[in-house]
Amino acid sequence: MLVLGVESSAHTFGVGVVDRGKVLANEKSMYGISTTGMVPRNVAQHHIQSANAVVSAALGKAGIDIRDVEGVGYTKGPGIGTCLQVGQIVAKTIASKLHVPIAPVNHAIGHIEIARSMSGLRDPLVLYVSGGNSQILKVLDHTNADRLHYSVLGETFDIGVGNMFDSFARHLGLDPAWGSSVEKVAANGRYIQMPYTVKGMDFSFTGLLTHSIKAIGSHPREDVCFSIRETAFSMLCEATERAMLMTSSKELCVCGGVAQSARLRWMLQSVASEHGARFGYAANEFNADNGAMIAFVAERMLNAAVRTALKDCTIEQRYRAERAEVFQ
Amino acid sequence: MSAKEIARGAEAIVYETRIAGIKVILKLRNPKAYRVAELDMQLRSSRTKKEAKIMSRALAHGIRAPMLVGVGRASICMEKVDGKLMKDVRISARTAASAGALLGALHNAGISHGDFTPANIIIEGSGRLCIIDFGLSEITSGPEEKALDILLMKRQLAKRLYGGFTRAYARTASGSAETLRRLEGIEERGRYQSRALE
Repeated sequence: MLVLGVESSAHTFGVGVVDRGKVLANEKSMYGISTTGMVPRNVAQHHIQSANAVVSAALGKAGIDIRDVEGVGYTKGPGIGTCLQVGQIVAKTIASKLHVPIAPVNHAIGHIEIARSMSGLRDPLVLYVSGGNSQILKVLDHTNADRLHYSVLGETFDIGVGNMFDSFARHLGLDPAWGSSVEKVAANGRYIQMPYTVKGMDFSFTGLLTHSIKAIGSHPREDVCFSIRETAFSMLCEATERAMLMTSSKELCVCGGVAQSARLRWMLQSVASEHGARFGYAANEFNADNGAMIAFVAERMLNAAVRTALKDCTIEQRYRAERAEVFQ
Repeated sequence: MSAKEIARGAEAIVYETRIAGIKVILKLRNPKAYRVAELDMQLRSSRTKKEAKIMSRALAHGIRAPMLVGVGRASICMEKVDGKLMKDVRISARTAASAGALLGALHNAGISHGDFTPANIIIEGSGRLCIIDFGLSEITSGPEEKALDILLMKRQLAKRLYGGFTRAYARTASGSAETLRRLEGIEERGRYQSRALE
């Protein structure tokens, strides 16, 4: 089924085209967040202005006409309300014009399912790390194959790890981008002691952020960058390792914006190897927010004959991953 | 000296071995390859130090826990306690009540155990209970950590045993009314509801 997916939960307006699980196009436009962060009204404005061009670019890349589209998906949540609305309206407009079915998709499930598929893992423990989210998830109950859903085993008590990196980067006058700019400065750093907060399989990042911002004045910046990164990633690895042991997982998958970090991947590979588990992740374009993952999940939902009336195509800012049904 | 591995957790490996003919347990916080060396050593040694400190505190308050034999930078050597794990037996009403009294005594000593489950309680031949694994323990007087200890055991106990466990806890622990009120509050929190979808 040729499905077009629209993602607009945060700073990225993305459109992807998927056919039988194969990604034909994955186009996007990003709102610049470098100095001010995300002002909801302004980001929504950017999405409205980009929508037409990004949809056209995706259709062109896929080499199809809009009339070829057989189904539509959009991000229902979680995300910023004003931003989600833009994608919702674009998707509903296309679906009603073409008289094709439409599927509301959970953003987290989008990241997880495309990463699971592209890494070739069957039943992995998942670490989902992005700006707004940091969670450890797994499908625990496989007995009823018709009603599968992920359970959250552990998560952040406060902010997402990507959000922590972005706030810290802004204090240093660096570009906030999932920690990549902090990572570059960290290259020759040495470790200084930082607050480390893991409680079982949960963790928190605000203490580490506050301490790191205060340390900027009294320590070389490469040392602070190195230490905030190493501490945050070690916390995630410890919680993940505990969850792997608890669930006896033999597969580990990382996804979300922060999964683009080579250092985090190396550390998780090390955790997986120690327990004889396979480790995998998707290509970077699918870890950053994108429309292809929404089209990917929407196609599976529509193939499973999930039908949602246009009037029920809502958005939900706090749509948690556990509540979304998963289709193979 | 030969050591037999008996448990492997996320943080430590537990061995059984002999020192001068006496059976002992050796808990070793092994290095993690993913961590930078400084953070790795800092975590392993501070957690070992804290665990040993809380174990001695429990022993000093007359609570049955393994005797400490020695403490290294990232290792603790302790008495091997003979008996059966509470998780491996059919739990009697008497045992459930003893577990309640044991938790009350720990809380009176200012210790929250952090992992108070039948997997961490040994029933000795005499029927006496011995509490093990202080790896997640904290020194605390707050109701939150104490209530979480009760919650963890509650999830593992059969309904018919929970009443006896709680009554024995309430008889032993000072300030138990506040802790039990907090427990109700925790169970009503959204996070626990959203995680218990099934």
